[in-house]
Amino acid sequence: MTDIQADLARPLTLARAPATARQRGTFTVQPWLYLAPALCLLMMWTYVPLVEAFQLSFYQWNMLPTAPQRYVGLTNYQRLFALPEMRAALWNTLFYIVGLFPMSVIIPLFVAIWTQDLEGRARTIYRGLIFVPMIVAPVVAAILWRWLLNEDQGLITLGLETVGLGRIGFLTDPKYALATLTWITGWKLIGFSTLLFSAANAGINSSYIEAARIDGASRWGIIRDIRLPLLSPTILLLSMMTILFGAQWSFAYINVLTNGGPLKSTTNIFYLLWEYGFQTMSAGWSSAAGMIAFAGFAVIAAGCMWLTKRFAVYDN
Amino acid sequence: MTIDASPDSASLATAAPKAGSARRFAVHAVMVVLSFLSIFPIYWMIVTSLRPENEIFSTSLWPSNPSIENYVFVLTRIPMIGMLVNTTIVSAATALLQVVTGLFAAYALVRWRMRLSGVIHGLIALSWLVPFQVTMIPNYVLASRLGLLDTLTGLIVPNAAHAFAILLLYNAMRSFPTEILEAACIDGARSWKILWQIVVPNMGAPIASLSIIAFISAWNEYFWPLLLSRKPENSVVQIGLQMFMTQEGNLWGPLMAAAALASLPILIIYLVLQRHVIESFMKSGIR
Repeated sequence: MTDIQADLARPLTLARAPATARQRGTFTVQPWLYLAPALCLLMMWTYVPLVEAFQLSFYQWNMLPTAPQRYVGLTNYQRLFALPEMRAALWNTLFYIVGLFPMSVIIPLFVAIWTQDLEGRARTIYRGLIFVPMIVAPVVAAILWRWLLNEDQGLITLGLETVGLGRIGFLTDPKYALATLTWITGWKLIGFSTLLFSAANAGINSSYIEAARIDGASRWGIIRDIRLPLLSPTILLLSMMTILFGAQWSFAYINVLTNGGPLKSTTNIFYLLWEYGFQTMSAGWSSAAGMIAFAGFAVIAAGCMWLTKRFAVYDN
Repeated sequence: MTIDASPDSASLATAAPKAGSARRFAVHAVMVVLSFLSIFPIYWMIVTSLRPENEIFSTSLWPSNPSIENYVFVLTRIPMIGMLVNTTIVSAATALLQVVTGLFAAYALVRWRMRLSGVIHGLIALSWLVPFQVTMIPNYVLASRLGLLDTLTGLIVPNAAHAFAILLLYNAMRSFPTEILEAACIDGARSWKILWQIVVPNMGAPIASLSIIAFISAWNEYFWPLLLSRKPENSVVQIGLQMFMTQEGNLWGPLMAAAALASLPILIIYLVLQRHVIESFMKSGIR
């Protein structure tokens, strides 16, 4: 897998493209014409807006085209840091990310190792089934789980009641709502991650395993000393994806299922941005919170890339 | 060595079948649980959508007298067909444009060595890391200035180029044999001709992968349409679904029918192209 992802991890070291026609020193127009559509679109819809959002974070503006934008300096940032809402949203973001780990990394890793000698038809069938959640639309996934977990007649609610656990307000009780949304986010990933780990695991050169076995290594010893290190690029990659994108993935579920409630218990940083921006109409706050999130995740991304470089074991 | 090993392997041979079958059972058990977890919610959606109203809370695994009344209800209540057509247009156009812009950009980076190509490559890759929620307000303002609110064009254009698409094609093109390109250059072929007559015909697999992923992602896209759409008839099916849920959230039968209709095209693509879909997603990871 993963030329692409390796790329994401090392965006700046890949300048060594094999050039076919070397034209050092002379400026040629042609490549720029080919680059123009993509670069213009990325500028127009990503980079210029990023700069504008940075500017907006120093202004007060209610999003009405006719209303003036008023410069307020660092006030937006000061307010945000003082707001308990912001702190709660950051904690919830952390909860989403940490809660996703078992489903996007840990369980898939061990399932993949455990089931490695499955072959033939059975393997194809399982593969086909566990991949499905990945392509289900988030809105559909939200609706499916809302039906299964609904407090009156949901299948899972009825089941729990039969077992004697009583009714649980999966989406209406502040104690459970965050965990429920994390579960739904993870549901989409668990099968896919398992497939990624299986593929990486199957790619491990079997002569290493043979050699270790001849040397008398135990089953667990082989997993610990050979499989896990050689799976480390995939582990680090999925961890990085979970950390960087996990909170964004849960946005659709929050918006469709809980609107950030009950009692703000499911609001994460990205939902907070959306609330400030399009519900309270305070563009300045939203942008300032956006900048904080962006800076935070940029630092984390840099850290992850450093870790990947430092600790991933590649089998050359 | 062989002599030493033989008693060992003999004892293993007698023990193996027993331990092996127990283990194989456990392996299947794990996979069955995981498969069930993955597929059951979707199965339950279809079953519920086929239940008549008086049976909706039944827990039987198959409706005793399946009916399509829920589907009829959805089709008469919301402009479902129109929204499905819109979503198809948006997804197909997005996929096509991402392939074209991606091909051009990747070709430029592979074929010419420029002093800035490292910077450009970095700019493209890093754009992936900018969360959409951070740029949403300026994007919204821009879209409304351009008159793109509540239009399909507005849903397509901002997604017409994507870092993922460019990088995927860039990586595929880098492994393209450079001798062929050089030979074509020496023959004096124009870069445009080389791209379409030599490069593209050899890039079938990555282009197909990218199209599949881009189409499915665009189909499932929710956030940008949420900002842009006003009327359901100008919108995509995800938004229609969400509106329907807000209005008729406890009509479980029709809601499940709507959800089934919204996922049907993707599920059909999956049934037909299963192996390709899985491999495309696996090769290129999460998006």
